[in-house]
Amino acid sequence: MLFENMSMAFHAIKANKMRAFLTMLGIIIGIGSVISIVSIGDTLRSMFTDIYKDVGLTQAYIGIGYWIEDVHQSDYFNLDDLDRMKEVFGDEIAYIDSGASASSKVQAGRINMDFDFTGIDYNYIDVQPVTILSGRYLNEGDILGRKKNVVIEEESAVKLFGTADAVGKTFRTTIYGYTDEYNIVGVYRKEMSPFMKLMMGGSSDRGTALIPYTILTWPNDYFYYCHVFAKEGIDLQNFFDRLTAYIAKIKGRQPEDYSQTTAISEMGSVDSVMGGISAAVGGIAAISLLVGGIGIMNIMLVSVTERTREIGIRKALGARTRDVLIQFLTESALMSACGGALGVALAVSLVSLGGMAFGIPVVIKPSVVILAVSFSAVVGIFFGLYPASKAAKADPIEALRYE
Amino acid sequence: MKMIKNPFVRKKETPSYLTENVSEDLIRLENLVKIYDTGAIKVLGLKKINLTIKRGEFVAIMGQSGSGKSTLMNILGCLDRPSLGHYYLDGVDTAELTPNELSDIRNRKIGFVFQSFNLISRTSALKNVEIPMIYAHRPKKERRERALQLLEKVGLGKRFEHMPNELSGGQRQRVAIARALANEPPLILADEPTGNLDTASSIEIMEIFSELHREGATVVVVTHEEDIAAFTHRIIRFQDGKVISDEPNPNPTVTGHENHMEGLYRARENGKEN
Repeated sequence: MLFENMSMAFHAIKANKMRAFLTMLGIIIGIGSVISIVSIGDTLRSMFTDIYKDVGLTQAYIGIGYWIEDVHQSDYFNLDDLDRMKEVFGDEIAYIDSGASASSKVQAGRINMDFDFTGIDYNYIDVQPVTILSGRYLNEGDILGRKKNVVIEEESAVKLFGTADAVGKTFRTTIYGYTDEYNIVGVYRKEMSPFMKLMMGGSSDRGTALIPYTILTWPNDYFYYCHVFAKEGIDLQNFFDRLTAYIAKIKGRQPEDYSQTTAISEMGSVDSVMGGISAAVGGIAAISLLVGGIGIMNIMLVSVTERTREIGIRKALGARTRDVLIQFLTESALMSACGGALGVALAVSLVSLGGMAFGIPVVIKPSVVILAVSFSAVVGIFFGLYPASKAAKADPIEALRYE
Repeated sequence: MKMIKNPFVRKKETPSYLTENVSEDLIRLENLVKIYDTGAIKVLGLKKINLTIKRGEFVAIMGQSGSGKSTLMNILGCLDRPSLGHYYLDGVDTAELTPNELSDIRNRKIGFVFQSFNLISRTSALKNVEIPMIYAHRPKKERRERALQLLEKVGLGKRFEHMPNELSGGQRQRVAIARALANEPPLILADEPTGNLDTASSIEIMEIFSELHREGATVVVVTHEEDIAAFTHRIIRFQDGKVISDEPNPNPTVTGHENHMEGLYRARENGKEN
């Protein structure tokens, strides 16, 4: 019976192709825009997730709040504080440093270049993996001895020295007013996701290099932030809150006095902004689905009137009320689901084209597609209910007499 | 839900109103009255009709328009219910049935043949014949086989794929007859079956009814044409909602021989193909 109804519905739609297509248009546009918006949202979300993964999703900066007016030196951090934190939260801290960085002019031979230096501990490579192309990473000795050793990024090395094989070479730079000669001990390459590259926007003319963070805590060994990476798989927010509370305790402050900047909350705010946009546009799309549904109801009413005689014949031949009801419901559901499927096709091609144009791998979730097509069928059934029940209730004698 | 059930495993008990009956009277009308309530006035369509038609009879119901024969036809066909009195079809009192139960009765017990054929357009002859069997939930394969057999029987075996608008009037009516026979109903009810046909086709159609009667079917033909009624074996005349005469027809029209139909169609089909 289901198959019979499907084939009847298919034939009825085929008999009025143009009309059916125009009727479906509302659903096509509605479903098309819903899928497009959701897919664009999902694509952006996956972009940001990838970017935060590159940056490190478990990290946080904790420091004395910018709103605190009477800041004392004791509110800042020193190396001993970091050691205490490592001891107390050893199971949860993957990595900790001062979060310091510096920018300065670098000179090597006749080349001058702006460089960004990130101060790191020797195990930074565990939380921010890089590939060592030649030489070595910074080691514990470099850190503890405040050695003027750096690990330089591949492209920066090429720009500065004309070759990636820069191990053993030196440059001069001034950090915090002290000009010194720095040795290149290694060259690294950072693997980046396509999104990250896109965000970075081609090659920059600034160089990057990693230096021992102990150089950047110089000269008084006090620093504003503690920069921490939590271990994977723990409750991050809970951990950061406990860490902040601990810091406040050892500093004789309230936990509210310390500010906490975490990757997850940043990502959460990006997520919520995108969620808001999706919801707004989704609402508009829902209205177009409603209009599409009304269009289907309208055309089904026309169809029921046109086929009054057919309904009469079917009833005379033994169709029950429910048989007629289901026949017309199947027709409107099929029409609507076809509209939904075409809408999906439209959205998928548009989004894929857009993705190709920007060179972004797009995210189209099968669950969204299935949901959209089923939802459009539900729209068809809902708006087909009234016309179908009108058909089902028809009096066979009246219907047979209808010209 | 009916639509998700597999018709092959369907094992539904036949309701009592559909069970086979062996009473000799296929149709029995007792004091049947039909009142049309048009709001201001009430019109008596049928006035206390008493009538019995036995199994295997070939009956014509005659009358001018307004005589009440269409009203009677609707009631006999279970499209309408009597206002008063009783209509027993195959021993079942139809006055007590719901519209859906009447649908089942029409489906299993009555084969309709209409004046304007009433085939469903843009639907092949085969599909049209299958429709009553679809509503009877018969399996697809069985439906198709039986529909082909029936079309063969009425001489349209080769035209099963044709759409109604590709067929002549006589051919359309033959499809309608095949459809009427689909569920082996005990009663064939024809309402002015030749009203839209030329003489030659009319004779063909009446010959088919005669043949069905010979095979044992009960056939009731509603008509206003004497020469159509002349094919039947009993003629009931109506006027003003009442039976004015009910007489056997001692000399029903017979054309050709036993195998006349097959011969005639074969000749025609061959002629058309050439």
